[in-house]
Amino acid sequence: MQILINGLISGSAIALLAVAFQAVYLPTRVFFMGLAGIYAATPFIAYSCQHHGLPWPLSIAAAAVAAIGLSWLFEWANHAPLARKKAGEGVHLVSSLGLYIATVQIVAMIWGNDPKTLRIGLDYVSRFDGLVITGAQWITFTVGAVALSGFAFFLRRSNLGLRLRAMADNPVQFALFGYNVNAHRYLAFGLCGAFAAAASLVTAYDIGFDPHGGLHAVLLAVVAVIVGGQGSFLGPVLGGMILGILRTQVVWHFSARWQEAATFGLLAVFLMLRPQGILGRETRLEASK
Amino acid sequence: MNYLLHLLVYFDIYVIVALSLNLIVGYCGMLTLAHAGYYAIGGYTYALLALNLGWGFVPAVAVAMLVCAVLSLAVALPSWRLRGDFFVLGTLAVQALIFSAIYNWSSPDTPLGSWKNLTNGPFGITGIPRPSIFGWTPASPLSFTLFATVVAGSCGFVLWRLQRSPWGRLLLAIRDDELAARGLGKNTRFIKIQAVAIASSIVAVAGALYASHVRYLDPSSASLDEGILVLSMVIVGGLGNFKGPIVGAFVLIALPELLRFLSLPDTQAANLRLLIYGLLLVLMMHFRPNGIAGAYRVQ
Repeated sequence: MQILINGLISGSAIALLAVAFQAVYLPTRVFFMGLAGIYAATPFIAYSCQHHGLPWPLSIAAAAVAAIGLSWLFEWANHAPLARKKAGEGVHLVSSLGLYIATVQIVAMIWGNDPKTLRIGLDYVSRFDGLVITGAQWITFTVGAVALSGFAFFLRRSNLGLRLRAMADNPVQFALFGYNVNAHRYLAFGLCGAFAAAASLVTAYDIGFDPHGGLHAVLLAVVAVIVGGQGSFLGPVLGGMILGILRTQVVWHFSARWQEAATFGLLAVFLMLRPQGILGRETRLEASK
Repeated sequence: MNYLLHLLVYFDIYVIVALSLNLIVGYCGMLTLAHAGYYAIGGYTYALLALNLGWGFVPAVAVAMLVCAVLSLAVALPSWRLRGDFFVLGTLAVQALIFSAIYNWSSPDTPLGSWKNLTNGPFGITGIPRPSIFGWTPASPLSFTLFATVVAGSCGFVLWRLQRSPWGRLLLAIRDDELAARGLGKNTRFIKIQAVAIASSIVAVAGALYASHVRYLDPSSASLDEGILVLSMVIVGGLGNFKGPIVGAFVLIALPELLRFLSLPDTQAANLRLLIYGLLLVLMMHFRPNGIAGAYRVQ
């Protein structure tokens, strides 16, 4: 039971980042590797604010604003101009990878390469019936539950959410109805920045952070997207949970060093046998583009 | 002088890597991040055969090529079903699995090269012997450079002949319109398997050359950073022709060496080098998607 709870909680951090990825991927079809750069940079902003004496809510707000700003900057400087040129998906992917590398190196040059943590001192622990849950786990769980259910509500109930889903379904038709596609792209990138900040900050509070952790986290998120279903906004949540549980089970039964092999093995199995994911409809991959 | 010779050997090695990667990315249109994994497998196979069994360069490299050709199916088979971003992701999974296998296939109490401790994990393999070619060993830096240049030249010649052959033209046809090539009765899936297998076995030669030059091998040569570096080479240099990857290898090896003259502190220099690689990728995609000297742009 303890292992299952741990898996679900670490899965909700993966799910947050997977939703961030999907918020950009579905409406714009940009494979946003720059997300890894945002994920890596955000905790450093919060860390600096904390060290300049700002109270923690302000530090977190500043970090979230910086993450959203960075996401908009990537869209404004890179993806929007490429989209205007009708660049293919490979071009977006490669340039986004370049942005990720550049961001991480700038972060490393400013703050150094060594790991840091946002938490000062030991974490408090609560116990129920033999279950042990740490404070950081509570925060991860609460942030994950609030943000993910808020996002689900936004998609289903609000007009803006409906438009975002419409754009994901058929961007050309969406533009033909007179909606401003560029403005909605900024909305998508903004959401992505906010979710990336949430995922990054809860992980940084729990286990610490360094400039090079972003790509690995985003790869996990993308695996969650594939497993959950790459055609839906909320499929990745399910994927994230499955991945979280699988990874903790691997640690429990074998060893932490086989976590990566199990994760990417799962990805390989899904890509070969069920590329549309658990919640996806059965179409050819290129048909959904 | 030795410094220049050392750079020349690196250039030879990366020319082989970039030219072989170009066969997959530029000629088949399949963006792969797993190539560095095959480079490392080639290096490890050579190192184990030369160190443990005392094999010479030629037979050890032949086995390394065979191993890589067989394992290249892991990249070639997903290409039947996956396109675009999802194919890249599939290759990323292959890369992660190769890295994970090399990093974890170790056990502290068993000798190196035994079934339980094949790769010595994160500690890597030390003391890899210099290549021995029918009894001759290029021991001095100059003779090793000549040897590496001859090896790179022969790999380049093979790839050049392949790309100019009807088979090479067929690859271009499949890249540009797979359905039309199939309509002409070509077995496009089998041709792709052949191309990936040839490219992966040639990169094994580069891995063996690296292992015998540096005489030490650790899992970092299979890392994602290495995969991104070699992909940057072909994208910056240019895809789809013979000169592009050579230019790319030259630029990406010369650049960090030029940075040395700025006398930056060591830690900053490494970051600055990667920062420039990243920015180069972005700028290339915006202003010159063909690369410096390429004939094909990333789609």
